[in-house]
Formats: sequence, structure tokens, C-alpha cells
Amino acid sequence: MPNGTIQRAYLVPGLPHLTANVPVESWETLRRGCRQAGDHVKAAKPDVIVVYSTQWISVLGHSFQTNPNPKGLHVDENWYEYGDLPFDLRVDAALGTRAAAIASSLGLATKTVNYHGFPLDTGTLVALRFLNPDNTIPVAVVSCNIYAGQEDSLTLGRAMRQAIEESDKRAVVVACTGLSGRFFTEEVDPRTDRFAHAEDDTWNRRILDLIAQGKNAAVLTLSAEYAQAAATDMGFKAFAWLMGTLGTPTTPGTVLAYGPVWGTGAAVVEYSVKRHA
Amino acid sequence: MANGTILAGFLAPHPPHLVYGENPDRNEPRSTGGWELLRWAYEKCREKIKAWKPDVILVHSPHWMTIVGHHFLRVPHLKGLSVDPIFPHIFRYNYEMNVDVELADACYEEARQTGLVAKKMTNPNFRVDYGTIVSLHMLNPDWDIPILGISANNSPYFYSTEIGQEQMVKLGQATVRAIAKTGRRAVLAASNTLSHLHYDREPELIEDMNKEVIFNNSQYQWDMRVLELMRKGNTEQLMTILPEFMEKTAAEVKSGGLTWMLSAMGFPHIPAQVHGYWTVIGTGNAVVEWDLTQGTV
Ligand SMILES: [Fe+2]
Repeated sequence: MPNGTIQRAYLVPGLPHLTANVPVESWETLRRGCRQAGDHVKAAKPDVIVVYSTQWISVLGHSFQTNPNPKGLHVDENWYEYGDLPFDLRVDAALGTRAAAIASSLGLATKTVNYHGFPLDTGTLVALRFLNPDNTIPVAVVSCNIYAGQEDSLTLGRAMRQAIEESDKRAVVVACTGLSGRFFTEEVDPRTDRFAHAEDDTWNRRILDLIAQGKNAAVLTLSAEYAQAAATDMGFKAFAWLMGTLGTPTTPGTVLAYGPVWGTGAAVVEYSVKRHA
Repeated sequence: MANGTILAGFLAPHPPHLVYGENPDRNEPRSTGGWELLRWAYEKCREKIKAWKPDVILVHSPHWMTIVGHHFLRVPHLKGLSVDPIFPHIFRYNYEMNVDVELADACYEEARQTGLVAKKMTNPNFRVDYGTIVSLHMLNPDWDIPILGISANNSPYFYSTEIGQEQMVKLGQATVRAIAKTGRRAVLAASNTLSHLHYDREPELIEDMNKEVIFNNSQYQWDMRVLELMRKGNTEQLMTILPEFMEKTAAEVKSGGLTWMLSAMGFPHIPAQVHGYWTVIGTGNAVVEWDLTQGTV
């Protein structure tokens, strides 16, 4: 009887500002939240960290990283001055392959990618720098299909849940995503970072409040309206993916940190689920 | 006084399939060919560029999408392996290029002076996007001409088509001033597909031309309408219908390259030459040339 479990689940931001050596109050708050999440992940001793990143964009269905050891150096295409992101990951290729097969059987177009030199995305690397700083835990990485809606994203999450369950592994699942998505489009002094629109902040807080009350289903219902009002990062579908992995529980999420990054909204949220996947 | 000039502009679409179909040494995957009508169209452009011996090819690419302003590559030499994040199975290309950094500086200055937000990309580890690489390879596979890569600012998507296109007009004006001041003989490339609705599943044999058809007839008709205006040199009408074209066909020209290029060329009325048109996974692609040396030589 397979007995894989999801130990914890996270929403984390993935902008390169968080790894930059620039002292900005809200970035520091978010960094602290990410480090705290990293400590909790370490304590949970998972066999694998599964990351869905809104910055790994795919258009021909959903992609799964299956190169056992992607290595290289990544430079963000917007904020290249914030430093290089070297990487040398251990990938749980079997889990990715299985999740892709299940997702495909559920009607989604899927692809596994195993290519030397394949570009990893900033979000995945920023998230893992905090959640897996010693690179000791194997990872699985899933792309964000720009055409997928909420239903497909939930299905994609369910496929991953089933793959985890079958694998008999203890997993941490991570949705790497921003909240409101309005960037400043001019150069700004990072020390004056704030929300691009005050209403975005209001919307983000409304969503985080629901999450903190365990009203995750309500967040799903509100997602389309939230996306419209606050130009959310990829329609906030990373959250739907996360709920797919967890089965949309009534578990409250703990908001470890919240603040603006270059005008957009970012939060670190933790679900201590420890349920059988 | 330097007196640079634009020799020509090319609509230079960048599906990696074109490089894949050609099987150059620089690209790792092998094919049995495919998309010849587009590849042969590019061959005509290559001949002309070889004959002109321009100082620089400038390329505006939608796959280097930037949030804060318009960016210019500003590292003298860039080298690396470019694996297409969407089509890694057909495009793993070893690139090496010389960047015209003096022109990058001039473009940057002119763009700032016209009120645009501009930035110079100076990180030597930066990975050049595949749109830039594919268009440049197809125009000049020998890579013996310096280049200048320009990012696609996301204002058409972030704000509106109108605001985005206004910015591209200004960027074009800034570009032509920078070319004039630096005395360059330049070729421009707008790295854009036309109609952009596509299939999301690929045939087993990627280059199976039996599966290569336009996504739907309305897309085709829009592409032809746009190409016909280019062929007639009816640039005003072309600019008038572009926003509707972008909306109806999800046309990639929305990212600004075509508007930037036409603006830099002063919205010319010369008939453009359509060297070839075909689909790639259902999108409409045309290789089009505006030869500004006509009548001046
Ligand atoms: Fe493209």
C-alpha cells in the first residue's frame, strides 16, 4: 500500500531581489520568512521538494524537469545586475516522470525535459536557495503552462499528489508565485519599494486573510476576480496547483511574511498539512 | 560628422524549427529538413546582406521581455549554449557573437533623451534569448557581422497596445539617430511571427510537413491582408490595422519589433518584398524585406 505524504506546503515569492544584496525593509522581511520556511523544511526531513514556478513558462502543455543533475549559471533577464544564480541540483527524475504520466492520463498535454543546458527559471532557483540552501534534498520542478486555467492547474496538482503517494516519499510542495503583479516600470530607488497600487495591497490582504482562516476553497472561487483586479502573477494559478496537491483542505495557512517587491505583492505562506497524500 | 544609414529592414521570424530544419553544426539536434519555403526565403536575405557588408545587424526580440524599459546588449562578446525553453528537443545552439557596444551606448543615450526608460545589459554571463539567436542565424549564419540585441519592453501587454506601440515608435526614432551619429551602415531585424495561434501538441516527427497547416483560415486571411499592404508599400494602412491584427490573431508583432523597425526606417512607402510565407506549428511566418538602398545606389 503506497503511503507517500505531503509534509508541508508553501507559497513563496521568486523574484531575484530576494537574493540580491540590497538592504530593503520589505525584501528583508520576505527573506526572513523564506529562511524560516527553509528551517521548517529542513526539520521536516523530506525526501523531495516539489516546486511549481510561475516563472518557468511553457506553452506546449505542462513540462516536468527530469534531468537528474541540472548544472549551470542562471542570470535573470530583467534584473541581471542582482547577481548570478549558479545551480547544481539533484532532481528526482522518477517522480517528475511519473507525475507527467499521470497528468497525461488525466487529459493534460505533458512533456518531460532532460537536456544539458536547459534554462532553469529565476523563481525555482530563488525559492530553492532558501528552502534547500545546502542542496541536500532532491527536487522536482513543474512548469506553468500559460494557457492552463484553474481546472487544469488543479488537475496538474492532483497528478503530482498521486505521484507522491505512489512514490512512498515524504514531500514538501512549493508554489513559487507572486501575488498582485503590477511592477514599477521605471527605475525606482528600492528603499522606497511599495505596492504599485494601494488596491493591490488590499486585495492581497483579503486573500491572505482567507488563507489564514483555512478558507482555501473561497480563495479559488475568488481567484479570477483577484486576477482581474490585481493583475496577479499568472492568474494566481500556482495556488490552484498547490490546492490540487493538497486536495483543497480547510487547513489554515500561516503567513510568515508579506510585502512588496518592485511594486508587486509577495508572501511566504506555510501549510503544515502532514496529511497522507 | 558621422552619417550612418539603414540599408534594409527584415521581418525575421524566429521559430527554432527553421534552424532545426537546416541542421547547422552549431545546433545539436538533427532533422530531415522541413520548412524549406521559409529557409529558402532567408537564403535570399543572406545573399543581400553578404553583398552589403553592413557594420551591424540590430535585432528586436520578443523573447527578451523586459519590465523596466528597453534594454540593449552591452557586452562586447557573448557566447554560450542556448537551449530553447519551449522547444529544447529541436534547439540547442552554440552561439557566439560580437556586440556593437558603441552603438549600444548611442541607442541608450538617444532612447533616454526621447524620454524612454532604457538600460544597458552588462552582465557577461547573460544568456541571449533564442528569438535573437534564431533571427540572427537565419540572416547571417557566419556570425561575422557585429550585432545589437534590443529587448521587447512589455508595455504593450502591461499597459495597452497603444502605449506599447507609441514607445516602439520612439525607440525606432532613437535607434535611427544613434545609427546616424555613430556612422553605422546598419541592417534591422524585427524578430516576429505574424498570426500566433498555434497547436499545443506536436507530431511525432517534428518536421512532418503533412501536419504543418495554419491554425485556421481567418489567421491566414489576416496574414495575407497584412502582407499585401507591405507588398504595396501602404505603410499608413498597415499601421492602422496592426492593432486589430494583433488582437484578432494574437500576432507576435504586438511585442513591438515591427513597429520599432518601420519607425526607424521612417515608415517607408517602398514596396516590401515577401520572400516567403509558411506556418510553424500553425502560426503564420513571413520573411519580408524593405530594401532602402533601392533608388539610392
Ligand atoms: Fe516567438
